[in-house]
Amino acid sequence: MSDPRNRQYTNGEITVFWIPSKCIHATTCFRELIEVFNPGRRPWVNMEGAPTRRISEVVNKCPTQAIVWKHNKDLTEEEKLGNRREAREEENPETLTEAEEKKRVKPASVRIMKDGPIVVEGSFKIIGANDETLKPALMTSFCRCGNSKSMPYCDGTHRKTGFTDESI
Amino acid sequence: MEESNARFKVITGGPLEITGHFRVVNANGKIIEKEGPVFLCRCGGSSNKPYCDGSHKRNGFSE
Repeated sequence: MSDPRNRQYTNGEITVFWIPSKCIHATTCFRELIEVFNPGRRPWVNMEGAPTRRISEVVNKCPTQAIVWKHNKDLTEEEKLGNRREAREEENPETLTEAEEKKRVKPASVRIMKDGPIVVEGSFKIIGANDETLKPALMTSFCRCGNSKSMPYCDGTHRKTGFTDESI
Repeated sequence: MEESNARFKVITGGPLEITGHFRVVNANGKIIEKEGPVFLCRCGGSSNKPYCDGSHKRNGFSE
């Protein structure tokens, strides 16, 4: 029933579920909390990397709900079973390796998400207000609703404020 | 490689300016822009989304 690529991680208190098919690489999770969400590590989620409250806070910011969380006491039987399973090999949440990126000559892809952020992938630079180059990334998402608390990036606030984009 | 880099400039209190090598695709998968500069709305108030229409100056957008 569920996608075999889905994964779940627990610290005994809460369980974080990862649904790769929903991931648009907004990079919010690892920009906010690399101690827990580190695409370069296996498994890429380390539930011991931060307190439960901080983990749930960052999970709530995922713009597409590719990561979601639940209290362990609220888990279904199937979900409890999932926590007992051995860690399986995962798909890399970052789809490009550094070598692939160097070869890449395609234009940067800029996607306008319906009622959501501007998602950028590929080869690009982000320049801040003082002409400084901001942290390089292969993928990022810019806020379009005007209300993010981590400007200029999306933090999922558009879902709470009911931002709509009638033009699309 | 350098010259193909797209450049995203975050204009304080204003839009996102895109120049360089890029392609803008709307929510329906349609390519709407290939050449820059393009100014995309960041304040949420434009009447011409996804483009900037200067609304940020009137709605007091700040960050």
